[in-house]
Amino acid sequence: MNKAILSILGRDRPGIVAAVARVLFEQGCNIENVSQTMLQSEFAGIFIVSLPHGLTVETLHEALFKRLSVVGLHVHTKPCEPPEAPGAAKPSEPFVITTRGPDRKGLVADMSQVIAGYGGNITNLQAVFKGGNDPGDNLMIYEVDVPLTIDAQALARDLQAKAETLHLDINIQHRHIFETLHRI
Amino acid sequence: MLTDREIISTLDMLKNEHLDVRAVTLGVNLLDCAGSDLNHVRRRIAERVMGLAGKLVPVCERVGQKYGIPVVNKRIAVSPIAVVGAALSPADLVEIARTLDAAAREVHVDFIGGFSALVEKGLARGDRSLIAAIPEALAATERVCASVNVASTRAGINLDAVLLLGRTIKRAAELTADRDGAACTKLCVFANIPEDIPFMAGAYLGIGEADAVINVGVSGPGVVKNAIDRALSTRPNLDLGSLSELIKKTAYKVTRVGELIGREVAEQLGISFGVVDLSLAPTPNVGDSVGEIFQSLGLLAIGVPGTTAALALLNDAVKKGGAFASSRVGGLSGAFIPVSEDLNISEAVRNGHLCLEKLEAITSVCSVGLDMVAIPGDTSPETISAIIADEMAIGVINNKTTAARLIPVPGKAAGDHAYFGGLMGQSTILPVNNGRGDNPFIRRGGFIPAPIHSLKN
Repeated sequence: MNKAILSILGRDRPGIVAAVARVLFEQGCNIENVSQTMLQSEFAGIFIVSLPHGLTVETLHEALFKRLSVVGLHVHTKPCEPPEAPGAAKPSEPFVITTRGPDRKGLVADMSQVIAGYGGNITNLQAVFKGGNDPGDNLMIYEVDVPLTIDAQALARDLQAKAETLHLDINIQHRHIFETLHRI
Repeated sequence: MLTDREIISTLDMLKNEHLDVRAVTLGVNLLDCAGSDLNHVRRRIAERVMGLAGKLVPVCERVGQKYGIPVVNKRIAVSPIAVVGAALSPADLVEIARTLDAAAREVHVDFIGGFSALVEKGLARGDRSLIAAIPEALAATERVCASVNVASTRAGINLDAVLLLGRTIKRAAELTADRDGAACTKLCVFANIPEDIPFMAGAYLGIGEADAVINVGVSGPGVVKNAIDRALSTRPNLDLGSLSELIKKTAYKVTRVGELIGREVAEQLGISFGVVDLSLAPTPNVGDSVGEIFQSLGLLAIGVPGTTAALALLNDAVKKGGAFASSRVGGLSGAFIPVSEDLNISEAVRNGHLCLEKLEAITSVCSVGLDMVAIPGDTSPETISAIIADEMAIGVINNKTTAARLIPVPGKAAGDHAYFGGLMGQSTILPVNNGRGDNPFIRRGGFIPAPIHSLKN
């Protein structure tokens, strides 16, 4: 069965999910996964849907565009590739990298470059920059799958060094510690 | 996906509240190293300890780094040397202590416990030799810790041993007179000693334990204090039931961390995991104090009326949180009140809020006893024994562990200052009632029988 992935962006207001879901229902699509979030006042939603026989991604996009663009929502639609076969992913361990410190341009670019250089895959990123020098107001949380094959201590050292040049306070911890502390 | 609240609260516990794993203690069974040839015994002990503990420190560092939780102390506890060295003389046992000290230094652990004897029901030859060796063994070594169990709920109190220990403590203090009697900071006298304590100076590996085991001591008085302060800042009228609930939840979190780290260290060393001992154990650092918790709860200082009730609440909540967090809780698990090791408690002594009698009273509801208590150097051995006997009685009758770690500071009097340094801290010397007077009661010796509730079978 063909699948499509769509992203919806726009100023947040009541009824966005209802509008998207209505079109999908009318087109005979089945929603398999949804993730939606709000950043400041903007809505962002990602949907993975399975398409009924005979419906193309292009037709679905047109239907969505027609109904959603008039209410100010941006739609992007593309075919969804099948997931990698089990075992194809490199074995890794989940780490959480947290930084706190003064805001400036390029923080995410610099830190994520170090992570990418080691083949670390960022699985979740939350960042809040309220500006100013209060470290609690400027926070980045990277959840990263670190391949078992790399030298994790070298990655930690490089991240520490990079954080130091950016005046950031950094913590690199295995994800288990957070789950152990807060979840039963 | 983790929430940012989970992450931020974890970081706060680490950065601002001194959350750490206080001690990972490797238990090393030495029973098969016993023998009558001193050199042979020494060689086997050194090989065994260094063989098993060689990787302890690097593995603890690595695991600590992985989770971002420092393992502050790495330690070793061995089988009671009174059993391992039963065939040896006191002079030989001092040499065994030196061997243990050297092995501990070699593998970079700061303390090695187990220079110990279990004499609650009688003194065997090896026990007498060990107790005779204690003063010199502790004075001549840096890292060796000694403990003697002189009482239990099942056996009663061995007053002959208590008398012997009074003299032993005096002698150990005299041998280290230039260091304010520091040898006594490494000697605990126990009732109902647990076999799996990871904390010093009472750690030893019980006779019923396996070849090797990893026990973990978690602490966290700073975490508990901050949790109380935070809650009271938003809800100043919180009642004690709610505060107990809060302490319980905090203890749960701290215990979980200890178990996670302990299990991983054990796995990486290929050794079985023993227990988590969740004890609020202070260090002489600001923000890492048990005494400060009493003030957060609303008392002027530890020692004023209300202290026993507050400690009862604290100790109970800590145990309940720990018991829910792990099915492998052991050791002492509760709250420690070591006077010289806790800045706030030694300050309470200096300000006259805390006296020896109040300390004794609160040991009936804490997890240890009269711990790191500096007393005048001219306190008689009989009086020291009498203080120990009182403390042992509390443990025996109440079916709990109690301990006495008393330091008669040579050449100093009540109100003077004693300095032990490092983790052992410093304290004002407490006055002792009838300190130099005669005590015919204690001199009678013999046994105080086990209480009626020891007849359980």
